[in-house]
Amino acid sequence: MNLIREIWQSIVRRDPLSTDKGKSELVFHNVWLHIHPAKVKKENMRFKHTFYLGFITFFLFLILVTTGIALMFYYRPYPPQSYQDMKDLQFVVFLGPFLRSMHRWAAHGMVICVFLHMCRVFYTGSYKKPRQFNWVVGIMLLLLTLGLSFTGYLLPWDQLAYWAITVGTNIGSYAPIVGGKLRELLLGGHTVGEAALIRFYVLHVAILPSLVILLTIVHFWRVRKDGGLSKPVWKLKPRAPEQLVTIGATPQVAPMQTIPASKDKTYGLMEVVTGKPNFEIITPEEEEDAVFSYPYAFFREAITLMVTVTSVMAISLFFHAPLEEMANPAKTPNPAKAPWYFLGLQELVSHSALLGGVVAPALMVIALLAIPYFDRNPSRRPSDRKWAIGLFTAFVVVNLVLIIIGTFFRGPGWAFVPPWVHVVAGPE
Amino acid sequence: MGIRSTVGACRSGARIMGKRLPQIFFVLSTLSLVLLIAAIWQATRPSWKTYQRHYFQLEAVGEPNAVTKAAVLATPPEIHQILLPGLHRVDRCTTCHLGVDDPTMKNAPEPFRYHAGLGPHVASKFGCTICHGGQGLATDVKDAHGNVPFWNDPLLSPEYVRASCGRCHKEGDVPGVPELTEGRRLFETEGCRGCHKLNGVGGSIGPDLTEEGASHRSPEWLEQHFLNPSKVSAGSAMPNFQFTREQARSLTYYMLSLTSADMGSYYSSVRLIPSPAYGRELFVQKDCIVCHSIGGVGSKTGPDLLDVTKRHSLEWLDEQLVNPQLVYPGSTMPEYDLDTNSRKALVSFLATATPQDAEAIMAPHKNVITPEDAAIAAGKQNFARFGCAGCHGTELQGGLANPNAQGGQVPSLLHLSDDYTKDEVIAVIRDGRQPPLDNVHGPTPPLYMPSWKSVLSNEDIHEIVEFLWSKQQKAKDSW
Repeated sequence: MNLIREIWQSIVRRDPLSTDKGKSELVFHNVWLHIHPAKVKKENMRFKHTFYLGFITFFLFLILVTTGIALMFYYRPYPPQSYQDMKDLQFVVFLGPFLRSMHRWAAHGMVICVFLHMCRVFYTGSYKKPRQFNWVVGIMLLLLTLGLSFTGYLLPWDQLAYWAITVGTNIGSYAPIVGGKLRELLLGGHTVGEAALIRFYVLHVAILPSLVILLTIVHFWRVRKDGGLSKPVWKLKPRAPEQLVTIGATPQVAPMQTIPASKDKTYGLMEVVTGKPNFEIITPEEEEDAVFSYPYAFFREAITLMVTVTSVMAISLFFHAPLEEMANPAKTPNPAKAPWYFLGLQELVSHSALLGGVVAPALMVIALLAIPYFDRNPSRRPSDRKWAIGLFTAFVVVNLVLIIIGTFFRGPGWAFVPPWVHVVAGPE
Repeated sequence: MGIRSTVGACRSGARIMGKRLPQIFFVLSTLSLVLLIAAIWQATRPSWKTYQRHYFQLEAVGEPNAVTKAAVLATPPEIHQILLPGLHRVDRCTTCHLGVDDPTMKNAPEPFRYHAGLGPHVASKFGCTICHGGQGLATDVKDAHGNVPFWNDPLLSPEYVRASCGRCHKEGDVPGVPELTEGRRLFETEGCRGCHKLNGVGGSIGPDLTEEGASHRSPEWLEQHFLNPSKVSAGSAMPNFQFTREQARSLTYYMLSLTSADMGSYYSSVRLIPSPAYGRELFVQKDCIVCHSIGGVGSKTGPDLLDVTKRHSLEWLDEQLVNPQLVYPGSTMPEYDLDTNSRKALVSFLATATPQDAEAIMAPHKNVITPEDAAIAAGKQNFARFGCAGCHGTELQGGLANPNAQGGQVPSLLHLSDDYTKDEVIAVIRDGRQPPLDNVHGPTPPLYMPSWKSVLSNEDIHEIVEFLWSKQQKAKDSW
């Protein structure tokens, strides 16, 4: 028994969790958990502040890595074996359809959640100083997520995959000068073929996930260094007029210096560096409001994880990932559609290739990246940011409307066909 | 706002500290475990295992020995598959159709019944789907039989299965499948190529048919289409050729057999069936009658071939066809580059050949041919081969309905010389043209003259015009 206890204590080197010291040590003696603070503010954990979208996105990514690695055991990235491997997953691999469906639905879910997470961060103004660059990192993660979904789309090598990638990469090729070259680089040729498949595979299973992991680390680290989650907007106080205090002076002598009064806790790095670190200002009453991360924050995260996993499993049990006929370059479906999240762009392309293929996506990405630097308004209160919120909402709505039109209202020849009208495409 | 948020904060404070968290976590974990078990349960009970259990029960019935019986019943379930790299397919049909190669199962109920009459087409070499269609990789009934979305090759109904013979046996005739031979003949003589491309040759008004059997295997649709194109395909430009039911069936068979899929060297090496009919075709094609005779009919340069199979062994004849000089040093018979099955076909024709055959073969050679006649004959062949007859009729009579074209139909070619010079006709064939309209505001007529310059050489076109001119009917009152 002693030996067992000794082994246990060699693994878990902290005081019992019943003590405050133990709760703290659980966090900062553990390499995985110490990205958390030992204590978190109660208000920050409220569901309606973040909807836990960042966590959900991260957990979906974990599901994708796990199921993705399992799928790699069954997948050969060259046609037509790739397609046959899909059929094998469907018909002979134990839990194969379940595995593939989980991967597919989690991937769609991640695209949606990463977008919703961006919206939440915008509406709560959480990208403002000092978090500007973390917003930029977040936008990069959004683009990487789209890239991962797009590269994964080709791998089943069915008609859906083949033509979605053909159309998707065509949209990119409208960019002047570099567009065509970029497409050629990505596809390893002028059309989607074997070379494109191996390139997409390498991007999908090695390069893009590695970049996502690296940037996610930066993303989390910066949230932590900026004092954890941003304060919920309902806890924001109106700005008090600055109080000044004078230091180093007696009423008789001229003051040495006059500085703004502050109740900040600050930590000076003596002798080496001067200046104030970028911690959020924590008032004493707010400190009262904080609780230990264990169990309150950790259980909430664990529950979020279970909700995410359970939802994806439940959906996968009842809805299987689609698989169409094997890719056939000679047989173009009408209409050929890009993956749904690019259908807004395809809709624009149908009106103007330059607008939808070049101007709109470039402006969108630049605008998103520039938001924290362009928006100089320091206030995070919604009542102070009517213009910003209005503009961003317009951006979201326009995107959604375009995607909905492209997905549901476009039929053969990209003609306007409402979804309740059934068009029978005759055999040739 | 202030008060509400304070109240909210207090309530949330209580929630934040809630003791429920571990319970919720526990419930969710249990739920995900239940879902996982459900997924595993779903995965471990595929329908093929049930079929295999029934099959082993059926097999065990006839076992007298109790030990063997128990062993049969205890056979572990497993997926059976036939790997066919030459045909680029994997057939798992035998996972359920366990009795296909077991003659004792000839009275067993489906799906366990023995497949009789396969001849050389054993399941282990050919699988199932190459003939029957369906989705070989699938392991449940609905998907395997292929009547599911996104599978283009569903199970063929028994009356059409023989059409699949033509997928490998692309040349010669296939014994027992006269529909294929007839369909192929109709295709070439009725002018289908005028509108349809097949293996790169043909017009472009209708769809390319090279992959028709691989991409669009719906026999019922095809047959209806041949009987009345516009009934199943509204607005189709294809005219109604008034085919009979048998002709429609034959053409359907031929369509179902069309695929450019590579069948692998094993399958293509035996695709010629050495039938007497194909041997006769070769006999004509290689002009054997120029030197040989059958029962005295024909040329006397070489030996007479009547009953040649009784005078020589089959091996001797085969060797003679491969290398004539080896058997008869100094023989003037040339070497023909014939593959094994072509040689067998020739020999099997010779075994049955009669003097009447020779006369029939000689008939076209009897007339003396002038260069003009030769050009007209070649033009006639071209006219048939490239499908001109499809629209203009085998007798050049025209008359196919072509709404809103001048006269409402495809023009007859019997009075061309009244309005055109030869050069003008050559230009129309070379470059094609849209028919003049009846009503300039009306719809475009579905049929038009395609441009033939990428398919026909100048000489071909010249020959066709010579043929047309040989058929011109002068109006009676012309000088």
